[in-house]
This record gives sequence, C-alpha cells and structure tokens, in this order.
Amino acid sequence: MIQGIFYARFLPQEGTKIVAQSPPGCIVATTYTPHLKPPLVDFDIIQEYIIPRKAFFNRFMTVNSPDGKYSILGFPVSIPSEQYHRNEFIFNFGLVVEADVDQIPYERLVRRLAVTFAEMERQNGYLSADGGVDEDGRRPIESLLEIVKEDLNNYGECMIPVDEANTLNMKLFPYHPPPPPVHGWHVPVPKMKLGDIVDPTWDLTLQKIIPHIDGVNDVRRIAWLADVSLPLTRCALQHLLYYDTVLLLDMFFFGSCYAPRPGVHDFIANRDELVDECAGYVCVVGNKPGGPGDSGCGSGGGGQDGTGSHDVRGRSAVADDDGNSNSKREATSTTAAAAGRVGGAGGGGTGTAVTKYQLIKLMTTFCVGRSVMEWIKLHQDAGFDVLRYIDVRRLVQFGVIKGLLYRVHKYVVSKQYLSLLATGKRVVESQEGEGDDDESQRLVRYTDGCHSFDQIITEQNMTDADICNKLKSFKPGDLTIFYR
Amino acid sequence: MGSPILPNASNFLGVALVVNRSRDGPRFVFHYPPQILPCNKNASANGPSDGLEDDDDVLLNQTARAPFEAANESLPNSVDLQRWNHDDHLETDSGSQIVPWEHVAGYPTKDLESLLTPARAYHKKLFQVSLDQLCFVSYPIYVPENGIWRKKQPKFQPPKSPETGDLSTKDGQTYISASDVSQIETRDMADDAIPGNPAEEADEKKSGMTMFNLVFILNPKKHEVKELADTLYFHIIKKINKPFRYSQQKSDFVWKESKRILTLKDKNREAKTKMSTLWKEILETSSLAACMQDVYEAVSHNKIAALQLETPEGTITHSVQIPMPFYLTDLPPDDEAGSRGLWITTANYFVDEDSLHDPAFLDKNFALLLMSDEKKIIAELQADPDETTAAMVEFVRLSKPTMSFHQIGQGTALSPAQVREYAQHFIFWRRAIATPPLHARDVYILSPNSDFTLLPQASRAWSRAFPVAPALPDFLAELSVAPRPYKWFCPSKNHRPTYLQMLAWLMRGGWVTQLCTFAYVVVWPEILYEVEYSLEAEELRAAAAAADAPRNGNGEGSEDDAADSDESLEEPVSTMASPSPGEGTQQFDPMTSSNPSLGSPFPAFDPTAAHSPLSASEPAKSLSLSLSLPSPAQGPISPSSASPSASTPTTRTPPTTNERVAEKARLERIADKESRLAAERAAAFARKPVPRQTDHPSLNSAAHLAHLSPYVIVDARRASAAGKDSLYLSAIGRRLRDPAVRAAWPVFWKHFNGRSALERVALLQDVKRKEAWALLGGMSEFLVCVRHW
Repeated sequence: MIQGIFYARFLPQEGTKIVAQSPPGCIVATTYTPHLKPPLVDFDIIQEYIIPRKAFFNRFMTVNSPDGKYSILGFPVSIPSEQYHRNEFIFNFGLVVEADVDQIPYERLVRRLAVTFAEMERQNGYLSADGGVDEDGRRPIESLLEIVKEDLNNYGECMIPVDEANTLNMKLFPYHPPPPPVHGWHVPVPKMKLGDIVDPTWDLTLQKIIPHIDGVNDVRRIAWLADVSLPLTRCALQHLLYYDTVLLLDMFFFGSCYAPRPGVHDFIANRDELVDECAGYVCVVGNKPGGPGDSGCGSGGGGQDGTGSHDVRGRSAVADDDGNSNSKREATSTTAAAAGRVGGAGGGGTGTAVTKYQLIKLMTTFCVGRSVMEWIKLHQDAGFDVLRYIDVRRLVQFGVIKGLLYRVHKYVVSKQYLSLLATGKRVVESQEGEGDDDESQRLVRYTDGCHSFDQIITEQNMTDADICNKLKSFKPGDLTIFYR
Repeated sequence: MGSPILPNASNFLGVALVVNRSRDGPRFVFHYPPQILPCNKNASANGPSDGLEDDDDVLLNQTARAPFEAANESLPNSVDLQRWNHDDHLETDSGSQIVPWEHVAGYPTKDLESLLTPARAYHKKLFQVSLDQLCFVSYPIYVPENGIWRKKQPKFQPPKSPETGDLSTKDGQTYISASDVSQIETRDMADDAIPGNPAEEADEKKSGMTMFNLVFILNPKKHEVKELADTLYFHIIKKINKPFRYSQQKSDFVWKESKRILTLKDKNREAKTKMSTLWKEILETSSLAACMQDVYEAVSHNKIAALQLETPEGTITHSVQIPMPFYLTDLPPDDEAGSRGLWITTANYFVDEDSLHDPAFLDKNFALLLMSDEKKIIAELQADPDETTAAMVEFVRLSKPTMSFHQIGQGTALSPAQVREYAQHFIFWRRAIATPPLHARDVYILSPNSDFTLLPQASRAWSRAFPVAPALPDFLAELSVAPRPYKWFCPSKNHRPTYLQMLAWLMRGGWVTQLCTFAYVVVWPEILYEVEYSLEAEELRAAAAAADAPRNGNGEGSEDDAADSDESLEEPVSTMASPSPGEGTQQFDPMTSSNPSLGSPFPAFDPTAAHSPLSASEPAKSLSLSLSLPSPAQGPISPSSASPSASTPTTRTPPTTNERVAEKARLERIADKESRLAAERAAAFARKPVPRQTDHPSLNSAAHLAHLSPYVIVDARRASAAGKDSLYLSAIGRRLRDPAVRAAWPVFWKHFNGRSALERVALLQDVKRKEAWALLGGMSEFLVCVRHW
C-alpha cells in the first residue's frame, strides 16, 4: 500500500520543498489541514535523502524512517539547462510505503514517474511552469498524485492522461527471482495445459517446444524433437519455469534408484488426502482398446477435487501423449528402458482398485540401494504384481513432485583425476569441452563426482550400458561408482 | 521455501567507518576492502533477467545522466579512468588530483560521508539507505545529549557496570574473557578516583566526535535486499557496535583511532602513496582498522568474526556470527549451493514438543562431535583462559562421538548441567555438532547432500588422516552401494576404533548420514474386524440393558463408571473372541439376555457400566454401524434427548389427561419400534461370522475380511490415549505371543510415530541394542517401516 506520494523540488532560495503531497499532510503539515494526523515521517530528517547531494542525482534512492515503520522511495532528478535559475531544475517524485512490504514493485513506479515528468519538463516546462492553482485551491499536480495513489492502491495499476500528449501508465508487477538453470537432462512437467493456452502470438520457440513437453521427454529430446537448438530450448523452458508453469524432474529409468525423504510421513499420514490423489494419478484402470500405452488416468486425475492437485491435473492432460512418446522413445533407443514398459503394463489390468495401504507399502519400500526394477521384483515376489495395477513412472514422479522421494543419482569418480584436481595440475574444464577425439578422454571430465550419469547420457548421447563399457578402458581400480 | 540468504563476497561489498564532528563536519574514516568497485548498472551483475532495465532507464541514461556527468569536470578523460587500477593517484586535465581511496563503490567519499551521517533520530536504530543496487546498512551511535562520551560513574560502584554485564558471557553469545574485563575495570576504578578534569571534558566537547557510524555496504540481488539487510543487522551490525561504543565510552577509542587513520590518509594524500601501501600501514597501526578487516573477511565468508580492539585500557575481545544451522532436515533444491555439504538428518527436527523440554531425552539422544581436532580446540581454550577453561578442557577430552551426553554426565568429572551448558557453547560457536551417538551397528550411507566439489581436497585430507584406510572415493562408494551396518565395512574387531574415527571424520564433513528406520503401526483386517465385532456386541448388550433400565429405575449412567469404561471395553474383546459360535450368539442375543444380572456372566456388565462407555466415549458413537442405524441406546434413555417432557417440565402447563394418554401411547409406540429395530440388529449381528484369531493376522485372507483394508495408525502414542485406535493397539498387544514382547509393546508403541527412529529406541529405553531389536522384531508383523535419514 502506498501510504503517501509526494512531489518535492529544490528551490534555490528556500531549499527542499514539498510542492504536492497526497494524502495532505503525509510528509509536511499544511496550513489547510492542521487537524489531520501528524506527518508519517519527520521531513527535517529525511529531506537530505529526498534532494541529496549532486552525486546521488538520477538514481533510485530509498531510506527508512528512524522509527523503522516506513521507507521513502524516490528518484531525485536534475535537469541541467541554462533556462533555469542556477542552471538546474531539481525535483523528486517519491513514495512512502510501509517498511515491511516488498519494495521491488514500487521501484518501477518511482522510476516511471521520474522519467515521465522529466521528459514533460524538457518538452514544455510542465513542472517549472506550474504556478497556478485550480478552482479548489489545489495544484493540478496534487490531484494527479492523488489519483495515481488511489488507482495503484485499489487496482494495482493506473492510466492517467496528464496532458494532450502524455499519459501515465503504471502497474505493480510482482517480482520473481530468476529461475534456476535448465539442463539437458531435466524432464519438464507441465503444471497446466500449455497446449490449450498457447496462441500464435507466443514466442516461436515456445510454440515449437510446447507439444513435446509431456513429462516424459527430457530437455535434450525436446530440443531434438522440436528441431530447436538446445540452448534455445533451455532458455524457453526457463521462461516457463519463471512463470511457475513447469516443474523440472529427472529422467525416469527402471534401472535407477529412488529413496524416501522425510516428507513421506505426510503420505503415510494421508495429509491433504495425498494418498487418494496419488491413487487417482497412478492406478491403471482397465485397458482401453485405444492403445496399450494409454494408462487411462485422464479421468481419474481430472476428477480430483480442486485443492492441491494442480500438477496432477496438468499431468493428466498429457496422459494421452504417453503412448506416442513411448513408442518414439523406443524407436530412438537411447533410453528405451524408461517408460516403455508402462505400455505393456496396462495389458492385464483388471480395474481392481489399489488400497491405500498398498500404495503406502509401495511408497515406503523404495530404499537406497534398491533400483525400481528390484523394487518391482520385491513386490511381485510378495504376490503383488505392481505393473498390473500401477503406472510405475507416474508413481515415482508423484513421489518426486510431492517431495516424498528423491532420485539417487549415479556418479563415476576417477581417483587419478581427483588427485590431479587436488594438486591443481588439472583444472575443471568448462562444460563445452573442446571435443577430444578419444572417447574415454571425453568421459574423463565427468569423473570428478559432480556429473551424474544422467548428464553423461544426455550430453554424450550414450546409454548407461554404453558408458559403463567405455569406462572399462580406464585403468582398473581407478574408477568407483557412487550412488548419491 | 529456500535456504537463508547469507552474505558472500558478491553481495557484501565492504565495511566503512564514518564519523561526524561538531565543528568540522563528517569524515569518511576508513573502508575495507580497499577497492570497493562500483556495481555498474548495465553490466551483467544485474543480468537481463532483472526486468527493471527497461526503456525508462534508457531514456534517463541518454538524457539526464550524460549531461550531468559531463558537467562534473573533476573527472579525468574516460580512457584514463577505465584503465585506472584504483591504486595509483590520477591527475585530471584541470589539475585536480584523484585519490584512490576517495572513491568508494563509485561515489566520492565526500558525498558518501554526508549521506552516511544521519540525524540523531537514528541513534541506535536501523539506518538503511540505498542507491540503485547499492545498499548501506548501519546502526549509528551518537554521543549522549550532554556531548560527553565518557560515562560518569558513581564512585565505589560495584565492579560490574551495566555495559560489561552486557558484554560478558550471556548465553555464550557475546564474550569478553574475564581477565580483560577485570583489567578494564581496575583501570576504571583508578580513573574514577581522580575526578575528571572539567577543562578536558569541555575540550572534548568542542573538537570531539558527535557520532560514528559503521556502515555495511551491500550489493544484494533484488529479492535478497530485505532478508540480507535484516540478517546482518540483527546478528552482526547491532552486536558489533557494542564493543565499539564501549571502547569509545571508556577511552575515546573510536575517535582516537579515527584521528590516527585520518592523519595518515591526509599525509599520504600529499605524498601520493599507493593505496595498497597506505592500507597496509593503516591495518598494521590501527586495531580498529584491523578489526574492520576481520569483520569483513569473516562475515563475507560466513565465519565467526572475532574482534580485538587494543584499547589503551586493555584488549576488548568480542565475537559475532550469523548463527548457522549445522544440519538440514530435507534435501535442498538442486540449484542451492549454499547448503551443500551440510549434515542431513531428522534427528533434531522430529523431536516433539514435550521431549524438547526434557533434558534427559536430549542427553540420551545426542553425543558431541567435535568439528576439528581435539588438540586444536583445547589449545584454543587454553589460549584464552578463565575459570571455566579447566572444566571445558575436561569436557572436550571426555566427549566422544560414540558417547551420549547422558553417559558423559554419569562420570565424576562433570555434572549433567555442565555437560549441557558446554555442549551448547561449543555448538553455538561451531566447534562441535550434536549427533546421535555413532555406533558400528547402525547403518550409514553416503549423504545425498554431500558436496562433491570438495571431493578432491577431501580425499587428500582423508589419506593423510587415515593412511592405511581405503581411499575416500572407494570407501564412500562402498557405503553408497547398499545400506549395511557400518561394522560390515570393518575388516576385524581390532579395527573398530579406527573405523569409528573414520566415521566421525565423515560425519563432520557431511559425507555420510545415518539411515534410520521409522515405523508405524499397521492394523490388519483381522484385528479391525475383531475390534469392530466386539464393539458392536457391546453396543447391543448396552441397548438391551438400557431397554430394561427404565423399568428398573436405573437409567442414568453415573459419572464414575465412565472411568472404568476402558477396562470394561477391553475385557470383552479378549474373552469374546474365544467362545464357540453357538455360545457367542446365545450370550449376546438381547432377547435371551434381557435381564442383565442373569444373562451376563460378567459382573462388569451391569446396565450402568455397559451404558456409559457408549454415551461417554465419542469413538464408540462414530462406529459405522451405529451411524447407519438409529441407535436404540440413544432414544429413550439418554437423559438429554430421551423425553423432552422430562427435561423441560417446569416451563410447560400441566398436560391434560387426554394428552397424557396420547403421550403414553406415543412413547409405547416408540419403544415398540425401538425394540423391533434392536431385534433386527441383533439378528443381523448374529449372522456375522465370529472373529477368529490366526497366527499371522497379516496373512488372514478370510472372506469376511475381504472388504477391509489394513489401516495405519500414524501416531501410536497419541492414538493410545483414546479412541478406537487404542482398542486396536491393545488388541494387537494381546496377539503378541512372546511375553517379553507383549510387555514391551505398550512401552515401545510411543516410538511408532514415523518420527522417532527405531535405532534410538535402545538408547531411550535404556535397554541393550540386541534386546531392543529382538523385541522390535517380535512386533514387526504389526509395523510398516520406512527408511530415510
């Protein structure tokens, strides 16, 4: 909330002076309004920061009030010109906001006010010519400030014509911190039906990649399928990430390992109906003739109650794509193991509902050192054929999204390389290595323990088994494999 | 969510000291590091993603700033300026000199000094001013209103002045070693003995400094501003001003040092000394400057800043830090480098409210793991001796990561209270962390939060510390493959102690974490059915009894009976499951047992006792059966809903005879209906199969259990207090065949809440590990387990 808005000028004779303020008396008491509340801030103390020394002109400047309740945001502007007394026109349009509110959205406003009025002053001396008062005994600029303040406080935006040529267009935008980097081995999962909201005015790259964001394809594959360069794809996905419309997950392989996080407690306690949500999302309901890959969860997911199931509903939108992408994945073979199996899973589905207890049992039996494959085997041996009832990829992704599970990544470390790094004989090369001809040489730079197999798989376009084969050419005993 | 925003070299640019003098105005005394470069607005520092660099700025840059800066002719031509190394002095075309230390963060110190000397209203308050991205945060200190820094102390004051009281160990947060304090105080006394020279005071008033302001210069990212400023302000800025103010009050320290620095600067301005040379000299001669350096270096690396002010009246030492958690409870997001390498555990987090205030609980659960070498810590302690040093050294010697505080406190050397206090002291000052005692039988895995960028250095350090042990990568890899008890990795029993030291080393570096097992009680359908069945039987009997009750004039359940309700409920559960089907139906048929005193073989089943649990305990009402059918027990007897006429007779006019007859008929009709319903229910109940106990309830797949699915009790301890869950728990208890296990069940079930690790049950219950695991093994059929850190 803007508590006060003011226009201050530096007058050669009188010094810093508040010319207009809204509400009246918010910065300095006025003769017209002696009965009002005392000013929000002590003008004598803060005037030094409203019109500061020359070195600080033309900068966004803030200061807190001594009582710690308010912040004063301003942008002192100086327009040098011979037409002015002492060759300079100095003014500041500022805001007073509570000290504990997010000031970032207001910074734009202050800058915009400074720019607009500086330009108007330059064009026709709008500010310097202002001497008259209107019929109410108020300066037009004071009413202008009042409208600005009211509109911004009430609607978060304003569009106010100042004169025939100039309009004040301002809006409060929330600020989001820059999104984390997107890597080639991430798998973006849409949180909404991006395909439905995209229109021809969108960025061309986004339009190209959106059809391929299905919660299964990794970034590198999306780039390949959409025929877009990888850096551009990553950049476009970062935009989606910025607006919180996608999530980034890891690639799903049946050979990889997942383990519970403390958040799994919420699942067992069925907090916020988490188990029911999970059931709607992961259970294989019958096998439709449409295709073996269709895990048929669209209706289940979509039918969820509105609360807290955004991602699930977003995901169900892509359910129909799964079949296609699975076959593509198999055709292109690098990561064939991934979701392909799910396709076969629906085959014998009988539509039996999986009980909550079974889901809890499934979720809690993930463990460090147990791959998904072994996990399936474990349950099959115990008499529960997981693949018949559950879309395993969805179960795992549900766990990862909700913070119940984490992926245990696989790393390879070369002791020789480590000691080279430790002694400084070799520095960590940049990601874009200069393409060594020897393949094992290419792999060396991944062996410092900071690059997971997922990264090697996507960057070198090799399968897990390929990599392990290549690594055999290293000195025996030098390499160790970590699971972390 | 997100990890706290902490100062680092990129968002914390430097510290500066500005003073104001009554006659000569403000002066910019000193800043560190020597070169604080302007954060150029359009450079990559802000990044294109900042979003605020829009056309507005382009406009302003073109039109407003350019002419303004051109007007400022004190700058030399731009080529020179760009090549300037900020160390040498430059000369402008107009002949004026540019002094390297007179430009800080892109602004002339002449301007900054006036900006950073705010009005007295900011005395001991947060003062925060920002210029574009740059942010100055401080806590200005003004001279008292009378213009004299030195505090007038009444003669013969007890040695502890309020200031020193503030500074000496309070929660171990601020700390002046006792010897320093006494040193200062003795001087104080001496000073006070000689009455202050009034002329001197007047002089000080005239020339003296009216305020000083230690300013922290920040360059935070947009979203960091508030949090970073607040963190620094509360943990560092406010606290660091205490010793400054104290030394100024005692011996005019800040002003005298400032004068010295300013003189040096003025002299070297003429001599055109290189800034690096001058700064070296200043740091050597002024402990105030050196202290500012320490603060910057420590705070920007998020370490503990230990200040030393060499005042003429003795050394003042003080330590400040931004408290850091030494553990995490869950994995941080991928992109957060800040919390990588921290120990990841839920050992502290899941401690619930009650036990948090129970020192015994913490004592048993935790051991002290020193963060650096024992010898080094002892040396540190002895370097700065006071009356607690000996005890602390003893504590360091005794503390082993394998021994809980409880065990250390049992010894003769230290009391449990001392152990607790010192442990807290060491933990606060980051010399140690509290971990669950390490044990070779526990399972340790490679921590998912370990920081692998440190691996090259760490493996060198490891091979130096444990030359004969396997290489660090190999050892970690082994731990990471599959979770196994730690002793598996140890070749023989003789190697145990070394291997435990290795484990401590790994824990310290956050390389490993304990994999714990958390359990919940699962109630199998067989048990569910059994409890359900007995509850229904109970209810029917109560209904039957109640139907008789009005006639006996014994309708109301007394309060005392409610207390017995639990036992009276439990009893039938245990006895009822055994009788043969024929007997069972006979017994519980309300028709045959309409006269309770005859029909019921159990004395506890007199009508009042049987009735009370149903009306008194909520869970019984919420039974699915009693909800689906209108409960007969509720209608006629329950005093509140039974007969409106009975409850509110006084407000009504006396009913006429006709009305009375009609009312009676109506009641009879209701009663008839009730008894008919009751009979129907009883018949339905009689058709149900009688629960049968099998050896393994988890495997019971009888047809009548098919509609039930196992039920998980989330928090057994809370559940045991009341409700149906408590019935399940006691029903399970009766199923445990081993008497030892059965005895342990009600003791152990409080740990089955998914929060307290089974690994720590032995410690908490003071039983042997093996025994605890054997007992837990006996209960395993009724537990569902999950393993995480």
